[in-house]
Amino acid sequence: MRRGWQVACVCLLGIFVSALITSLGYSLTDALGPGPGFFPFWLSMIGMALTSGLLVQLVGGRIFADPAVEILPSRQVALQGGSVLIALTGAAAVLEPLGFRLTMLLFIAGLLLALGARSLLAIALTAVAGSFGVFHVFYYWLKVPLPIGALGI
Amino acid sequence: MNGLAAAMSWQNFIFALIGCVLGTLIGVLPGLGPAAGTAILIPLTFRLDPTGALIMLSAIYYGAMYGGTITSVLINVPGEAASVVTCFDGHQMAKQGRGGTALGIAAIGSFVGGIAATIALVVVAPPLARVALSFGPPEFFALMLVGLGLVTSLAGRSLAAGLAMAVLGLLIAMVGIDPVRGAPRFTFGIPSLYDGVGFIPVVMGLFGVAEILLTIGAPTRQVIATKLTSLLPSREEWRRSWGAIGRGTGIGFFLGLIPGVGAIIPTFVAYVFEKRISKTPEHFGQGAIEGVAAPESANNAYANAAMIPLLTLGIPSSPTIAVLMGAFIVNGLTPGPFLFQERPDLVWAVIASFFLGNVLLLILNLPLVGLWARILHLPYQYVCVGTLLFCILGAYSLQQNVFDVGVMIVCGIIGYGMRKIDLPIAPLVLGLILGPFIEKSLRTSLEMSGGDFSIFYTRPLCLGLLVVSALILVASALRLAPAEVREASKN
Repeated sequence: MRRGWQVACVCLLGIFVSALITSLGYSLTDALGPGPGFFPFWLSMIGMALTSGLLVQLVGGRIFADPAVEILPSRQVALQGGSVLIALTGAAAVLEPLGFRLTMLLFIAGLLLALGARSLLAIALTAVAGSFGVFHVFYYWLKVPLPIGALGI
Repeated sequence: MNGLAAAMSWQNFIFALIGCVLGTLIGVLPGLGPAAGTAILIPLTFRLDPTGALIMLSAIYYGAMYGGTITSVLINVPGEAASVVTCFDGHQMAKQGRGGTALGIAAIGSFVGGIAATIALVVVAPPLARVALSFGPPEFFALMLVGLGLVTSLAGRSLAAGLAMAVLGLLIAMVGIDPVRGAPRFTFGIPSLYDGVGFIPVVMGLFGVAEILLTIGAPTRQVIATKLTSLLPSREEWRRSWGAIGRGTGIGFFLGLIPGVGAIIPTFVAYVFEKRISKTPEHFGQGAIEGVAAPESANNAYANAAMIPLLTLGIPSSPTIAVLMGAFIVNGLTPGPFLFQERPDLVWAVIASFFLGNVLLLILNLPLVGLWARILHLPYQYVCVGTLLFCILGAYSLQQNVFDVGVMIVCGIIGYGMRKIDLPIAPLVLGLILGPFIEKSLRTSLEMSGGDFSIFYTRPLCLGLLVVSALILVASALRLAPAEVREASKN
């Protein structure tokens, strides 16, 4: 747990330092009062101070005696989690070129198989309902704009 | 009365009904909490008028508060965080064949708690809104700091970590066009960032996608086949429950007024209080009906009372209320005292819908308990994929931009990591939603005073609120300090 917090603090410190440097590129004050860089500048300073203090506490051992927490789970769970992330990323990448219906059809079927669903009929029905059915409800009934895709499906 | 008439129109009645059903479904599905669930369902309301949209989303919110009870009782898994306490006695009652009674008293307690809190909202909200109208930008700035401070101080084991998360949320809110000068900030030449980082994809990622990643591979739970033929308590159980319902309602209502308390605390306080005053405390944890009645009443009373700071002051008390606030903003409305002035028709219609929604929840949920129990038998893979489908749909449909789906995925990974190492998420979410308001109040105040910071301590109300926020942080630091010393001595 402590290691995880240390990594998180280093990442946060990096973010706050970057934000501080970027905010210096905007005007802190102008003729009308505080400028666009004013609030981000001071937020970054406060964030850096807090994160540095937290890092000192962690390095000094003042907080956390918890047993180590497994950030990465077992192999099977990691594979399933990875499948979810790959499926989400793939769906986002092809959502506009392929369109909502085809993308979700592939997404649902592929992810169900990756997560261990075995009934092909249930997978097929779920994929069709979740892609074409949901599209019909949201696009035609609720008038929510969804991508059609280059194939027109 | 006009608000009640508007809420009772056929259209809004149906929206409230749909919201109650969907909200209960969200509460029933373990892992999908009210915050992510409400965010995911916001796109459903895009084509509705603002009144209908907010009525539906509010119904989803307090429907989810009830829905979590069903899984607590039947499978000992809270459908949402506030239902944890119901597991203690509710599941024991189900094991003893009294699951129907547990669900029945939970529904009745929730109804009483919700109605009582809504009546109090009607009484308290208008005068509070009138007081808030006298607030200027410095007072609003200080008030939002109080809200943010309360949420941060109650967020977790380290005050510094909570504050750092709140600051990070405020910084993320800076991305986009500066609201005062109109200049782009932190956009790095990416056109999609000119509109800022969407609050809803962030919430969907941090709460929805992260939850899916965390619960994948979790062992399936046994659903207790409980007889649901008898949903009403016996005379003796009624006698033992009424007091618990009344006390739970009071505790939930008062804690709901305080931003930052969150939904879990009222339920725990109500349970512990009930156990403490009971003549048979040894029965708690073994199926005591008071152990279900009190927290469930507190839960729904809290849910309705938490709308008071949102509607009157524009302060969200929890991430879920912050999502509702996001829904207001998406519909072009800013919750707060001015909304009472500018759109009283909408505000009163939404408040009137709380009465309607609580009645609908009571009428619907008892007959539908069998259906919800069947849904729990669905294999988790299908629930997982269904949730992700709506996450993608919700994130994309906000601005028809794949970038928002990418934000959601990234936030899902970040949320997974944060939950794994127990970093608080609530301060980040509140910082993100309150960031633009806090900045605007601060900069407007400084423009009023010509850059002089004394405007914050020469106005008595503003000074008072700033002192309160400082006291909150000091009290939190003192509360957490002994824990840190104990940890250090263990080292």
